[in-house]
Amino acid sequence: MKRIFHLAMKDIAVLMADKGNLFWVFGFPIVYALFFGAIFSGSQEGPSSMTLGIVDEDGSALSRQFVEELDSRETLEVVSFSREEALARVRKGTLSSALFLKPGFGDGLGGLFSGDRNIEMASDPARAMESGFLQGLIVQSLFEVVYKQFTDMDTIRSNLDLWREEIRNDVGSTLNTTIFLGFVDALQLMLEDVELDSADSALSGFNLSIPTVEVAGENKGPENSFQITFPQAMLWGILGCAATFAVSLVRERTVGTMLRLRICPISQAHILAGKGFACFITCLFVIVMLFLGGKFFFHVPINSVPLFFLAAVSITLCFVGIMMMVSTLGRTEQSVGGAGWAIMMVMSMIGGGMVPLVFMPEWLHPFSYASPVRWGIYALEGGIWRGFGFAEMLMPCGILLAIGAVCFVFGLWLMKRFHSVG
Amino acid sequence: MISVQNVYKQYGRTVALDGLSFEVEKGTTFGLLGPNGAGKTTLIGCLGGLLVPDRGTLSIQGRSDPSQIEVRRCLGVVPQFIALYEELTALQNLRLFARLHGLGGKALVQRVEACLEIALLTERAKDRVSEFSGGMKRRLNLACSLLHDPMVLLLDEPTVGVDPQSRNLIFESIERMKQEGKTLIYTTHYMEEAQRLCDHVAIMDAGKILADGTVPELIEQHGGSARIEARLHGDEDLIGPISRCLENNPTIHIEDRLLGFETRRPMADLTALYQAGIQLDSLTMESTNLEDVFLNLTGKKLRDS
Ligand SMILES: Nc1ncnc2c1ncn2[C@@H]1O[C@H](COP(=O)(O)OP(=O)(O)OP(=O)(O)O)[C@@H](O)[C@H]1O
Ligand SMILES: [Mg+2]
Repeated sequence: MKRIFHLAMKDIAVLMADKGNLFWVFGFPIVYALFFGAIFSGSQEGPSSMTLGIVDEDGSALSRQFVEELDSRETLEVVSFSREEALARVRKGTLSSALFLKPGFGDGLGGLFSGDRNIEMASDPARAMESGFLQGLIVQSLFEVVYKQFTDMDTIRSNLDLWREEIRNDVGSTLNTTIFLGFVDALQLMLEDVELDSADSALSGFNLSIPTVEVAGENKGPENSFQITFPQAMLWGILGCAATFAVSLVRERTVGTMLRLRICPISQAHILAGKGFACFITCLFVIVMLFLGGKFFFHVPINSVPLFFLAAVSITLCFVGIMMMVSTLGRTEQSVGGAGWAIMMVMSMIGGGMVPLVFMPEWLHPFSYASPVRWGIYALEGGIWRGFGFAEMLMPCGILLAIGAVCFVFGLWLMKRFHSVG
Repeated sequence: MISVQNVYKQYGRTVALDGLSFEVEKGTTFGLLGPNGAGKTTLIGCLGGLLVPDRGTLSIQGRSDPSQIEVRRCLGVVPQFIALYEELTALQNLRLFARLHGLGGKALVQRVEACLEIALLTERAKDRVSEFSGGMKRRLNLACSLLHDPMVLLLDEPTVGVDPQSRNLIFESIERMKQEGKTLIYTTHYMEEAQRLCDHVAIMDAGKILADGTVPELIEQHGGSARIEARLHGDEDLIGPISRCLENNPTIHIEDRLLGFETRRPMADLTALYQAGIQLDSLTMESTNLEDVFLNLTGKKLRDS
């Protein structure tokens, strides 16, 4: 045990001697947490709002109502343009999407389902995600406006009058005319019987604004954007540590110090345990440092300190295992360094460490369950703001430990198999 | 003490050790002399427990598996390539390896100091190894293997790239260890080193031992003849007595009072001449050495230069 400690201390001394390593392991996570924390703290409601260009060629009361409805959404900023300007902006990429309300939009809105909607949208193909999101908002607003129309009896009645007028003007089909007029009369009679209140309540089931249910614990979700960026920064710090130690293990082999360690009266397990222990200590140190910095300088509220540290220890052990495995994937520092970063990148990509998961193709989603980054962030958040209890922490922490153990065993096997020569 | 029986080791298609056998007596120094690629490092690796031979048996102090921890405690290996933590200081390196050998407290301090002295690095103890010259690193590389004062020491070309001064220093520490009764295996492709340090030498090439024995034995058996030239004193005709002294050596040649001949036993012949009362004004002798032994055995030189 003592020897493992000495080996680990040696690794830490070697790490400290290299200024470059120091930055990636300790400096980068802090910079990351502060930089993104500061950026996001400006808009605490979530992502910054998107801009939608509007070309209202209709100018009817309904089209104005629709634009107002769109504008009232928090995440949407509506700006009016002429047709040419809107198209030019979308083409240049300064606007992700523009919406064209053509003449007759207001009349057609009542016939939302007829297919002729007098509405068009132009989108920047490179920002498909954003325009998809915008389309959702537009359809939602459209329903909202139509819904208001249907609950307004006056509008319905005037619509019926309008239809009656149109049917009468339609000469040539006399039989059909009488049938349609009869239908409209019957509809009017029926609507007059219906009480306004009950019509309202009957339709209110279709209300499309979705009420939000409180999901977070006592902390009511992340109160502070640093609560989001600190767990991510911790993960980045651990990734950096793991990659650094994986390379240092190979370095022992290429530089020859592994040979010297192997002629010492210690077993190979001692050597590996020493490396793992050093990685563990360094990772924990990074986490504690970020924890203290977050708590005392940025007042990041932490729901449960013990659960937070449970998460931290699980993640660290997981990445010690991954480090061991990665270090066996090549024979030179370059190849292992490359493999290390590639694996870490993929893990954080599919785990949602870099880009939110929704922006990934569907088939990738199941893979995110295999990413320790996903579980790591989840577990840390569980301790910081998700308000998890001990039982809820068991799953992410258990998964992390399992991933770590599998990688460790696999790495050990690879090492015995391919790297037994110093 | 150390015994190697029929050891065979192959890397892919390359046969690095091709059925080697030899024994090393306790307290003696055994030299392995061979050119690049002869298999010296591979052999040291097998003896040090870093490589497992494909066939054959090894034993060190009666134990057949050198990777056992008990063997490692009394075994020191000086690797051919510098194996040090360049980012750490000389002192940190020494302390680390001392601790890994189980030293602590006063013993640790004493051994670390002693080894710093051996490496002549006491003044530079707190400097990083990366700032050392090649020769200093070599000396530290040796010192790091001596911390636990091993009874058996395997040295793999410990003097490569060091200046004559450092080389002498390394020789002195090796000679001191010999006096202390340690058993040493020393690989080199410098015949002077083998000649100076080793009691026994094995000549190796292509994974095989071509000949072994003490240095004089090897020279006598495989070195060929030495050439002696001498100026005779006085002016009487000495052809008869000289021939008698040198047992009718057919290479005897006398001209203008200059005597020349080739012999495999130069000292015995010169003594015989002296005892017969033949006086010499001057004498030059081109003696044979291990280099000639090697040349005669393999038809090639030990080193390219
Ligand atoms: N790891 C390895 N993989 C493949 N072949 C190897 C390996 N190590 C050594 N060899 C081969 O084994 C043979 C013996 O090499 P070895 O290093 O033992 O020679 P050496 O006598 O120590 O040479 P040198 O004086 O150059 O150090 C060489 O032909 C070498 O190419
Ligand atoms: Mg060698």
